[in-house]
Amino acid sequence: MANDNDKIIRHAGIDRLFHWVMAATMFVLLATSLLPLVGVRFGWYEVHWISGIILTLVILLHIVRSLVWQRLITITPRPSDLSSTLPGKYTPAQKLMHLAWTVAILVAIVTGLILTVKAGVPFLTRDPYVYSLRTWGVMTLLHDLAALLSVFLILVHVYFGILPEKRAYLRAMVLGWVRRDELKSAHDLDRVARGD
Amino acid sequence: MDIFRYGHDSFGERVLNGVSWDLLPVAFWAGVAVILVHLVWRALTRNSGRRDGG
Repeated sequence: MANDNDKIIRHAGIDRLFHWVMAATMFVLLATSLLPLVGVRFGWYEVHWISGIILTLVILLHIVRSLVWQRLITITPRPSDLSSTLPGKYTPAQKLMHLAWTVAILVAIVTGLILTVKAGVPFLTRDPYVYSLRTWGVMTLLHDLAALLSVFLILVHVYFGILPEKRAYLRAMVLGWVRRDELKSAHDLDRVARGD
Repeated sequence: MDIFRYGHDSFGERVLNGVSWDLLPVAFWAGVAVILVHLVWRALTRNSGRRDGG
């Protein structure tokens, strides 16, 4: 019979590694792009594009893993999230946070990769004339908006991560597990077991 | 407060350069506002929960 103290694996090691590598690269990307704006002068661009490439590779692996080895529906917001029943693995708020990060990071990656053509990287011939100034402006605008959204999301995400009542989720993202009693107070364990 | 950054092309025409960095503090304080609202809501619901529970 299941015991309340039983440990339930919430995040596999590879997913935790992905999360923290992504977090580290996001901090480096935001620091290298925003610190010069507040007067901290340094050669930020090389660190920025290298971190961006690392983030892109990690996100590609995450997409493959979520499509092949995981169930995408588990983290996708659905109309049933509005019902008063207990959620499956992720709460509606967690699904919304993931969706917001998905938008911010995918926009940042796509526009960032395109902007490397204008700014130049060692393995790509620089060509600022491939698009018009107007198009470069729109790309930069979207890249900037993704950065601003990321600043907002980091604050909110870290806040909810360190709240005492959410501590089990933070532990799960560090060590992988939650206790059964921690999970069943806010989640439907049958739905969690089904991967719902 | 500006919403966009602008520059000029070689003909002197104004062109979009990106988002105005005036919005950086807005993004920061919007995050802080969400945190503060949640802290207040959390405190109120905890207090009412204690009262309801006797």
